[in-house]
Amino acid sequence: MMPLSALNETRPMLAHHPIGASTGFLVEDRGDWPALVDAAAALSPFTAELAALSELELPGLLAYLLGAGDEVPAFRYLSVHAPSKDLKLSEPKLVDCLARLPASVDAIVVHPDIVDDPGEYRRLGARLVLENMDTRKNVGRTADELAPLFAELPDAGLCLDVAHARDVDPTMAGAHALLDRFAGRLRHLHVSSLDADGHHVPLTDADEAAFGPVLKRCRDVPWLLEAPLPS
Amino acid sequence: MSGGGGDGAASALERLAAHRPDGFPHLIAARERTDDALRALRARFAAARASGGAGDAGLGDVAGGELAVGRLPYAWAAGALPSDAAVVLLGSWGRRELTAGSDDDWLLLVDGPPRDGLGVAVDAVREVLGGERAGPGPQGSFGTVAFGNDLVQHIGLEDDDNRNLTRRMLLMLESVPVVGDEVHRAVWTQVLDRYMSDSRTDRRGPPRLFLNDVMRYWRTIAVDFAGKHRETDEKWGLRNAKLRTSRKMLFAGGLVPILRCHALRHADAAELLAAQLALPATDRVADAFLDAGQPDAGARCLGAYDRWTGMLGDPAVRDELSALDRETAMASLTFREVRRLAAELQNGLLALLFETSLAPAVREYAIF
Repeated sequence: MMPLSALNETRPMLAHHPIGASTGFLVEDRGDWPALVDAAAALSPFTAELAALSELELPGLLAYLLGAGDEVPAFRYLSVHAPSKDLKLSEPKLVDCLARLPASVDAIVVHPDIVDDPGEYRRLGARLVLENMDTRKNVGRTADELAPLFAELPDAGLCLDVAHARDVDPTMAGAHALLDRFAGRLRHLHVSSLDADGHHVPLTDADEAAFGPVLKRCRDVPWLLEAPLPS
Repeated sequence: MSGGGGDGAASALERLAAHRPDGFPHLIAARERTDDALRALRARFAAARASGGAGDAGLGDVAGGELAVGRLPYAWAAGALPSDAAVVLLGSWGRRELTAGSDDDWLLLVDGPPRDGLGVAVDAVREVLGGERAGPGPQGSFGTVAFGNDLVQHIGLEDDDNRNLTRRMLLMLESVPVVGDEVHRAVWTQVLDRYMSDSRTDRRGPPRLFLNDVMRYWRTIAVDFAGKHRETDEKWGLRNAKLRTSRKMLFAGGLVPILRCHALRHADAAELLAAQLALPATDRVADAFLDAGQPDAGARCLGAYDRWTGMLGDPAVRDELSALDRETAMASLTFREVRRLAAELQNGLLALLFETSLAPAVREYAIF
């Protein structure tokens, strides 16, 4: 007879800890960092991702994190998503800003397609985390495409976006290939589903089932939701 | 308890290493280093013992001149080391994680009740071991004699003070004999038997006394760390780093095998514990990850510990960590890297405990 604990195997989301929020989907509070952090902490005081997806949001986030001191909840694992749009700063100046993030930030997620000179990003050390891309991008989607970047960034980690991985390869073989190749670099997951336009939406049952075997390989890292939990 | 060497079959750590492109190079190297150093120490003791019966012949006459140890031959000649005693190394020696800066924490372990007259033996052991490596710390828990009866019979209550608890835990979880293998094994078995005899034989489940003692020890280490640094931050950085890593591995190396007994009959549990605790802590943890079908998480967890082991062997890293206090630690990139690795280690252990088939046992036994 199958032991009851096997339920964990079929529904990894039921058992996992920590699961936290990326503030990227909290659009109504965008720019109000104290409110965004409070909302993320309400879902989980253990982990969160503060998403400055537009470069316009980065100065406010920096000012908040550097100035708020004890006002910022002490997450056990705190990620910052670096800007991927509205990019105006030169690459060195953007990395300068990211390097100023306080030590309480454990990970800085960067999209591979914004990296022109990997040498600049070496300054971020082990805090640099590269995210696998979806089919809207033409770089950083697969293990083979990420390998050259990781070769130049030996301390960088991997943020596995499972929705992006399924978008690139619906069989999820590509996600397994990413884990096979870069398992030691894995720092955290982005978990959601994607709509037809590639926007993050609440996890569907079909995706949860498809993601299952991949999620089971990632039980030891934080999972950050890029969309609300399904109601 | 570590046997100080393999039997040729791949260890659990080696099997888990197959799930990482670069394996666990620092841990594997540390095992080889420990085994080599242990062989050298055993040879040194054997030479000392041989010279002991040779009147005033110097040890150099026996060991080619490289192991001269002063007055030691006279101590051995006087029968300094009784037949019911073992010289036991603890800590990184028992974990097979020896690095250049490791302490030589040792005990003269006597199988029996407390008695006087062992000062010469303690001096003799100190003389053979002493010299090129760091000796036991100043707390007085090590570098002296310990009696099996205290470790076996004083589990709990007033007589089981911090020192006795520490010695018993390190004996069970990370010790290796240099001399007196049979004595070491005998006392180790007596403690395990004591733990097992206190648990009901008609039920499946982990031995609760052992579980509680291991958890008590971990909490004691954590509380004592705070106590130690209430007034001074000397060596705060290095001690904090070890608490997050090596001490946590010691705890997990005891906790995990005990919890794995949760579905076993009493006799099978005793057998599992005897087999598991004979291995280094990293093998016990690696084996649990493999058994739980979690090689990826295990490889990351032990991979982080491997990196830490490499860092600990770097004198510059040790010096930097030793100089840090709690106010300055987060300004150190080295400390931040240790903190990151320690988080990976802990996250892996938590996944093993709470997101595998061990989870019901953790819930049932590990909290209350």
